[in-house]
Amino acid sequence: MTDQSRRAFLRDSAALGLVGSATPFVMNLAAIGEAAAATATDYKALVCIFLYGGNDYANTVTPYDQASYDQYARLRSTIAHSRDSLAATALTPQNPLPGGGQFALAPGLAPLVPLFDAGRLAIALNVGTLVQPTSKSNYISRSVPLPPKLFSHNDQQSFWQASNPEGASSGWGGRIGDLLQSANGAATLTCINASGNAVFMSGRSAVQYSVTSNGPVPLLNNSTTLFGSTLGMSTLRMLMTQQRDHMLEAEHSRVTKRSLDLQAQVSAALAAAPALTTAFPTGNTLADQLRIVARLISVSQELGARRQVFFVSMGGFDNHDSILTTHPTLLTRVGAAMRAFHDATVELGVMDRVTSFTASDFGRTLTSNANGSDHGWGSHHFVMGGAVRGRAFYGTPPVLADNGPDDVGQGRLLPALSVDQYGATLASWFGVPAGSLTTVLPNLANYNPSTWNLGFV
Amino acid sequence: MTEEAAGRLPSDQDECEPADTAFDGAALAGASFFLASCGGGGGSGSPPPAPPPSSAPPPPSVVLPTRQQAARFLSQATMGASRADLDQVASVGFEAWLDAQFNMARQTSHWDWLVSAGYATTATINSQAGFDPVMWRQLIASPDQLRQRVGMALLDLLVVGIDGVNAPWRQFAVAAYVDVLMDNAFGNFRALLQQVSTSPAMGYYLTFLGNRKANPATGAVPDENYARELMQLFTIGLVRLNPDGSAQAAETYTQADITGLARVFTGFVLDSSDNSTPDRLRRPMAINGAQHETGSKTFLGTTISAGTSGADSLKLALDAIFAHPNVAPFVSKQLIQRLVTSNPSPAYVGRISAVFENNGTGVRGDLRAVVRAILLDFEARSDPVTPSYGKLRPPIQRLTAWARAFNASSPSNSWSIGDTSSTANRLGQSPGRSPSVFNFFRPGYRPPNTPIATAGLVAPEFQIANEPSVIAYVNYMQALVANGAGDFRADYTDILTRAGDSAVLVGEVDLLLGAQLSAATKTSIAAAVDSIAITVANGSLSRVYTAIVLTLASPEYLIQK
Repeated sequence: MTDQSRRAFLRDSAALGLVGSATPFVMNLAAIGEAAAATATDYKALVCIFLYGGNDYANTVTPYDQASYDQYARLRSTIAHSRDSLAATALTPQNPLPGGGQFALAPGLAPLVPLFDAGRLAIALNVGTLVQPTSKSNYISRSVPLPPKLFSHNDQQSFWQASNPEGASSGWGGRIGDLLQSANGAATLTCINASGNAVFMSGRSAVQYSVTSNGPVPLLNNSTTLFGSTLGMSTLRMLMTQQRDHMLEAEHSRVTKRSLDLQAQVSAALAAAPALTTAFPTGNTLADQLRIVARLISVSQELGARRQVFFVSMGGFDNHDSILTTHPTLLTRVGAAMRAFHDATVELGVMDRVTSFTASDFGRTLTSNANGSDHGWGSHHFVMGGAVRGRAFYGTPPVLADNGPDDVGQGRLLPALSVDQYGATLASWFGVPAGSLTTVLPNLANYNPSTWNLGFV
Repeated sequence: MTEEAAGRLPSDQDECEPADTAFDGAALAGASFFLASCGGGGGSGSPPPAPPPSSAPPPPSVVLPTRQQAARFLSQATMGASRADLDQVASVGFEAWLDAQFNMARQTSHWDWLVSAGYATTATINSQAGFDPVMWRQLIASPDQLRQRVGMALLDLLVVGIDGVNAPWRQFAVAAYVDVLMDNAFGNFRALLQQVSTSPAMGYYLTFLGNRKANPATGAVPDENYARELMQLFTIGLVRLNPDGSAQAAETYTQADITGLARVFTGFVLDSSDNSTPDRLRRPMAINGAQHETGSKTFLGTTISAGTSGADSLKLALDAIFAHPNVAPFVSKQLIQRLVTSNPSPAYVGRISAVFENNGTGVRGDLRAVVRAILLDFEARSDPVTPSYGKLRPPIQRLTAWARAFNASSPSNSWSIGDTSSTANRLGQSPGRSPSVFNFFRPGYRPPNTPIATAGLVAPEFQIANEPSVIAYVNYMQALVANGAGDFRADYTDILTRAGDSAVLVGEVDLLLGAQLSAATKTSIAAAVDSIAITVANGSLSRVYTAIVLTLASPEYLIQK
């Protein structure tokens, strides 16, 4: 363990009550070190696929049985898939939905259908941000607390990721990292973001580490000189990373130091790894990101990582307009990228150890604005991986309506499953003890513990 | 030895003693800022200011800034300081320089430059050709630098990104939009809102171009996109604000207000069907009465009665939004954040909000008065004493600051800097290329799990600072400093005359780039410069490059204080 991960271990062990008061730390630490060595093949990764802009649920997981389809098509006549176009992606779950209900995936998600059929893809219905269980009458009368700033992109992205609106200081991916980073040789390789910065990936102690689709960026190609001078180069590194008293300067130095400290190790591990043979689609930024995630997973053992949370994202889902042309293009990329990533985990022999899940700002309206849909709330999401209890829907198909029992108007779904339950299910699989789940997802405490685990993984 | 190093002048202490006379009397209330106002202007080891020009002695009542104070001011007020800018501010003072900038006519517009450079052809109809050149050229080469800086601050607030504008000749659409911001940078915010809300680029970007009234046959209702972001992002925000920018608990609007306001933004169309030229992209959108909602429109406690025309509805709606008490603190605070500091004191925001409310002659929304007040406020002008003051310079401004400091130009007029958005090998930011209407960074961004967050502070520009981007920036600038891009290159003639004396060289580079380096850092950079003998091949250039790149990479430079 590095110093950082040892410190993390001690703090988090204490938090979890693992450090027995009668046992000297050092002995305990040695024991854990051996245990870690004995289970070096124990590896798990969580991959958050964030669809920025608010994905349109109704054209992603589309009602397909005739009665439901007709209602869907009536409510969004100008922006509906044709029923014929859905025939090839109609889903057949292990256990039929009650009442003969059926769903089909958007045609562009066809590469995911075989995964659903093989039990490696599950669909969680009507998931969204909530503070506590909320009925429609609760919503109308505002008799329970609601997530603040509903329907606002940035705030609902943040609430999804962090249980707080914009300005949140940690997210649940990072808070999972807080609890498990001590398992890793380098704690800084616990929460890895392949798409810039996201509050999801910062814990209370865990920090996010960002990479590009090609991995870390070396400084001046690791040149030893700057304009011919070795002193120039060493001065460059010194200045870029020096400790500063000014708070903003200090933060810039910290990010830079983390980048320079990890680059050589991570780049070397990636360079030494066999190339993935799985073909990833090109011209697809989500696929580019998922490819580097797969490559990083392939070197997790070399990097001493046993629990890793990854974040990838794709933008463009705010389809107020042109939804029939733009959204299918986006979903085609999502489908191809997720499928390639799944196949790469099979190639690497880690399919059962990697669970991916989608997230998005919010769902959208079921009704149309002529050629698009507007900001909504609950949405349907995918969970993918060998450990997933797939070929199944979790939750209840919402009533398709404009201001019906399950929506707050225009088909903006009132979430039936909370992000907290969704996250807790994933976190439990990942190894977060039940007693720590409310540390990761504080609003979970507002739910009956028997409902914390949705059972999809 | 250069003439500068030879001519040691009165110390900064001598010069800055009566600095308050240049500012409003309210400055005296801000003791903590004021006490240290003579502290850090010079810093040991920096070259002394050049002698003031002999011509045009200033009026006796104006206390002239030091070169260091001028450099800091220009970091807040421009896209970068040239030597001439520094000399100008130092010789006439802040207020006279501001007056000159306010009175300087708009230079060549983005639109006219694109036309004159030959981009208005059918060959460019489906490309973005000309967009990056026109943006970079104006930021770097146009002398109306205050307008450029404020216009870019407005583009950070009233965001359009070219990739989201699905128009033929989209480079022209966005050029016309940026022209609107530049034209109105010193105008009235209400007039600016009118032009923004009828800009074809915005109509495309926030999808209300072609928006239609409700259709009972299909159940379709008006697109809510612009209605929502106009209120949330451009004018009032989500929660009630106090005049000092602090938040109250109450939210400003509900979904019903959005739905009501969305009815106003219906029927908007381009004002011509002539698609043989880009021209219609610079004319305000028209409103097709047949697609404009004819029923009443209710939002924010206002009701526009049924049957009101589209144009009248737009005017009434913008009047109602503009009248909201949030507008002054909402806009004022973000302009302070873009120009001066990420975490202005509530009192600073309050002072600027008051100017927004009333420019002194009873006019509300006068941006010229607001900009003047922001830059002359004692919280901007006195030397910072808190260890969180200032802001991370956005990468675009780092490039333009270097370019202006060292006279970069493009003789062929191609300005081939290109799209610098890549976080892997460019700046991670490029002018007019925000990935969404939420801009590159949010005014409320709090880098999570950092001492900044723990202190309850924000640091917007850190939203695009991450492990790859902080390195890619240095890599990119290292190449640009030495090689330029195409025929876009610096002219180092002046600075090369200082290459022989490392202390003088480093002092001058620091001064041109904002005068932010400590003595210790300047000593380190000078030592690195001196590790390169001036006698080796390209020794002088390598010494200059070294001084510039090390300054640009230093956290002391990166944080504008």
